[in-house]
Amino acid sequence: MRKIFPAEELARDARFIRQTNEQRLGDPRGARVAGGSSGDRLAKLTPELANGPDRARALMHGIFVGEIQALEGAGRTCWDFELDEEVPLALKLDMARQCWDEARHCEISVSLAEHMGTELGEFAENGLLYEAACNPDPVLRLTGVNRALEGLAIDVFNTMKEFGNLAGDPVLEFCEDWMLADEVTHVKMGSDWLRRLTANDKERLDKALEFQKIVDRLFSFNGFRGEDDDSPIQLTRRFRELAGFSDDEIDEIADMSREARVEAPS
Amino acid sequence: MTDIKRPREPFAPWDRRTLPGLFDVEETAKRVGNYKWLEIKLFEALGGWVATVPELDVKLRLGTHCYHHAWHAELFDKRLPELREMKTERLTVPANDEIATFVEAMTAPEDAHMTIEKLVGVYRVLIPHTIAAYTYHRNATSEITDMPTVRILDFILQDEFNDWREGEMLIQSMLESDEEVDRAMTHQAKLEKLMLAAGGIAGPGSIGDPYVEAMEDN
Amino acid sequence: MSEISVTPKSFEMVFYDSAVIGEVVGEVAERLGFSEPIVLEIDEASPLGRSKITAYDPVELWVDGGALENTQRPRHFGKQRTRDTIGRLLIRILDRRSGRFDDAPADDELSLSQFAAWDAHCVGRLERLGIGGQRKRRLYQFRNRHGFTDVADEAFDLLWDSSELNWPEIERISSECRAG
Repeated sequence: MRKIFPAEELARDARFIRQTNEQRLGDPRGARVAGGSSGDRLAKLTPELANGPDRARALMHGIFVGEIQALEGAGRTCWDFELDEEVPLALKLDMARQCWDEARHCEISVSLAEHMGTELGEFAENGLLYEAACNPDPVLRLTGVNRALEGLAIDVFNTMKEFGNLAGDPVLEFCEDWMLADEVTHVKMGSDWLRRLTANDKERLDKALEFQKIVDRLFSFNGFRGEDDDSPIQLTRRFRELAGFSDDEIDEIADMSREARVEAPS
Repeated sequence: MTDIKRPREPFAPWDRRTLPGLFDVEETAKRVGNYKWLEIKLFEALGGWVATVPELDVKLRLGTHCYHHAWHAELFDKRLPELREMKTERLTVPANDEIATFVEAMTAPEDAHMTIEKLVGVYRVLIPHTIAAYTYHRNATSEITDMPTVRILDFILQDEFNDWREGEMLIQSMLESDEEVDRAMTHQAKLEKLMLAAGGIAGPGSIGDPYVEAMEDN
Repeated sequence: MSEISVTPKSFEMVFYDSAVIGEVVGEVAERLGFSEPIVLEIDEASPLGRSKITAYDPVELWVDGGALENTQRPRHFGKQRTRDTIGRLLIRILDRRSGRFDDAPADDELSLSQFAAWDAHCVGRLERLGIGGQRKRRLYQFRNRHGFTDVADEAFDLLWDSSELNWPEIERISSECRAG
């Protein structure tokens, strides 16, 4: 088996249809995001919206394929790097633990999709998350995946948990709460490993944080994730703090989202 | 009132554990190091394969089992310093070159069409051999002096049995034609021969020696 | 067969073909017993899934481009999705013309729960005609508007399985689970 497995070759059954980044970003109507489209001035995702349940369904499917890719990414980190030469055993053990967590998240997401009336493969899959998990530097990979993407997952899960609460959907709220707990752990893993592996390497630390910013920016279409009351996905300060983000780092993500929102076509 | 001065045996009547075991500290450490090396190789491969298998149920099981074996590696890693091996990486090695060759062959399949080969290598060859070697070790070591290893092996064997059963059921569910049965058997035979050459996961003597020396003719 | 007029005639942002859309809409209309002309206006710039009846006589429909989209292949036409979207609109027109819905509020005055209840009744019938479906999706929408309760689920079953409810019955079923 090769080291570094290309995103284009991720193995899927016939139900799953892949949408390339070019196709996604080249959609003149705006890229699909948060169960809606970045071309629209997306409202905060709540059940009160006329299309709220359908947006939640689409977002849930996005979460499901994201979980598959997160599982694949964590699995590849177990395999791609030479033990001790490139990464310590403890890092690989964390990634194996994350594999188990993501596998459970896939199982939860499948059950939630069923609960919400969504068929597996009903929506297109985009491979952006796994692509971030292909970075050949383990520090950059963990920073991009565990801090940027799993950080986004914290915000998404918290938004979905609130959606379940507002809709009186005990199943959605219960499941999102559990997944949220795992995501905080994963982000904390990313924060801890970033610190440990770059303790004496400022240059690598800067590179990793820059990579995190790139990934954060890629997932900030029109600033859909932010702190404004009407942001479709709410930036979750409390859980990010638990996961090892400093106030400055959270401020920076909030600013990035705000800027993206201002720059978005009206 | 209970008579607290009345003497009792240190071993309860039903506790038949005995002191001697087949392995001394050095041999135990060597074996635990071999086990740890193999569990690492196994969880790395299971993790790596997740992206390469299209079958959703297999994908999720591999992800779950990946962690089980990582946890086994961690348990063995923690046991090594207790066996006087402070530089744990020194003993985290394959038992011999042949077992390394086996692992290389077992982890070689990558193509999305080779899920059967991937599963057969793990669940029909490697895990049955680990269950055998761990059971032998668990039964042959002293349950008094080496109880920490026994306890670890008991936890691990519980996982191994469950994972073996799940893996075997996945294989059975994927074998739908004579050709697929042949593929499974061919791959199993190939890997079994490599394992034979290695003498088991901890080298020759992995599960002891069942033969007795023939008596000389009178 | 109905004469179907699709606007726009050609598309710039999505890979739709107005002739194909016309055919699919025509099929659905025929299955539902329409023979009159139908006008369909599509906002191709919107990937959302909104749809509405802009006129009942003559029939004029308006949809977001996303309401006719194949969700697996964004920007591509989805036959099944189109059947579902158009079927729901046309069956609502039939309902209003039947006299059984004379008491129903105008479309833009319907509450989200009233819409969800009526939709459940529409799509249940479409499914039995082999036109639409996605029962669980509709159940989820219904639960969001009526509660995640056994009472709501029973109400949904009644709406879905019934062949010819009138507006007071739909309104009663909907309001009873909201009250419960």
